[in-house]
Amino acid sequence: MAEEKRLSKKDVVKAFWRWTFFSHANYNYERLEATGLVHSYKHIIKKLYGDDSEEYRACIKRHMQFFNTEPHIGGVIPGIVLAMEEERANGAPITDEAINGVKTGLMGPFAGIGDTLWQGTLTPILLAFGISLGSQGNLMGPLVYTLLMFGVMFPAAYICWMKGYELGKDGIEKILGGNQLQMLITGASAMGAIVLGALSSQFVTVNCAAVIKFGALEMNVQETVFDALFKGILPLGVTMLTLYLLKNKKMKATTVMGILIIIGLIGGVIGFLG
Amino acid sequence: MHITLFQAILIGVVYYLGNIGTPWLSLLGSISVVYKPLVAGTLVGFILGDPVQGCIIGAAINLPYVAFISAGGTAPQDPGLAGTVGTAWAMAAGVDPATAVTIALPLGLLGTMIWVAHMTLDVTFVHMADKAAEEGNIEKICFYHVAPPQILMFCLCVIPATIATYYGSTAVQGLIEQLTGTPLTVLQVIGGLLPALGIAMNLRAISRPGTLLFYMVGFILVQYLGLPVIAVAVLGGVIGYFYTVLLNHNSLPQVALGGTSQAVIDEDEEDF
Repeated sequence: MAEEKRLSKKDVVKAFWRWTFFSHANYNYERLEATGLVHSYKHIIKKLYGDDSEEYRACIKRHMQFFNTEPHIGGVIPGIVLAMEEERANGAPITDEAINGVKTGLMGPFAGIGDTLWQGTLTPILLAFGISLGSQGNLMGPLVYTLLMFGVMFPAAYICWMKGYELGKDGIEKILGGNQLQMLITGASAMGAIVLGALSSQFVTVNCAAVIKFGALEMNVQETVFDALFKGILPLGVTMLTLYLLKNKKMKATTVMGILIIIGLIGGVIGFLG
Repeated sequence: MHITLFQAILIGVVYYLGNIGTPWLSLLGSISVVYKPLVAGTLVGFILGDPVQGCIIGAAINLPYVAFISAGGTAPQDPGLAGTVGTAWAMAAGVDPATAVTIALPLGLLGTMIWVAHMTLDVTFVHMADKAAEEGNIEKICFYHVAPPQILMFCLCVIPATIATYYGSTAVQGLIEQLTGTPLTVLQVIGGLLPALGIAMNLRAISRPGTLLFYMVGFILVQYLGLPVIAVAVLGGVIGYFYTVLLNHNSLPQVALGGTSQAVIDEDEEDF
């Protein structure tokens, strides 16, 4: 075997910064952060597979697949994958399936958990503080808000990325041998799904604006029918329909988005939704 | 107050820099900082020569967007456009912060069209990057990842925001009044529906047995008990932990029948 191809700390940190700045530069409805990941790994892929054009191309294509997660807390995933790629380049028997398994198994849960912590919890707290100062014309409001946001999230993201890399290095034997990775994915998936339920309950809003009139009696359909049946049944139904179209009907995200827009358009114009 | 073309362009650039995904200030610096009307309003105030007034108006416009979340690639509203152009209009017209909010909110709905346009058009560049991947040309992928989408994003953001700011509240306000009523309601309805796409994409990514059951638990905890999301996340962690442990030792009832837990762990080691 050729000499060991080891990543230096500098390589790992450089990938982190490339990810931090450019992860969403080509964000899109088909592959989301896929090209962002390849962009972040550029120097790594060159270093690890530069002498083997087959493996080099395979690695690029491996990471051109759909990838989407919360980029700060979820940075633990590209961190782990970095270590896996490093081991693979040095001859460890790490398959495409193992790498894809880590990415697809963890990205959903970490998206739910990360967005809850960052956008759902930290951001409103800091904003409440910044807005109360800012509304009195105190420029410390936006300034302190900005500094605290960077001061909390950059270290958090850095720690997650580096921890992910360490985990991938230390745990690679355990992960491949035992069922620890399966346990981690199982637990994180359960937690992630619960959090996604909470998020959709809060952020998917579908309201029926229709009012049925029986002579003098006016009946608000939302309150008397849908709320009485099951609170939030409309947003739940729309989310399930969306999932069905994506997963079972294998529709493209752009197509599904078009369908949602048409539903909103028709529902809004005839006054059923509002 | 009169806004010059130069000032209007600068305000357009502030909107671009804050839009989700622009790389120049990092992702965090866009969505979590310049995208927020509190910060965007202050910057617009600087451009127009009165940062304090901009800050006050930005803070007011930010209030309805405190709980804003963009998850899974969907943005239900556009606080960035509301915070930049909204603040500029309010300062030009010299209105109080409360009126500024009513001016800005329709902008936040119109801005979602810019988001949807860029998320859709950017798909083209992924397909170009696919061709480069076949050739094994990583430099080209990195080029397609940054240059074309950002030039597109720059145009999509700066042009409308500059025009809206320059021609100002009077001209565009008339347009917005025309839109008030059904068109804005429709945008609001669509803005409420689109987050379903983000959630469903993440659910599809998890896609394991029981995912939808866990999802229902989280949904009901918020709908019926009104728990804040962070409380649900902690509960979710506890449930996830026990679920994993139970899956691993699925004959746990023996413990209840008097067996020691040590024995259970030993005999079920390879059960998973």
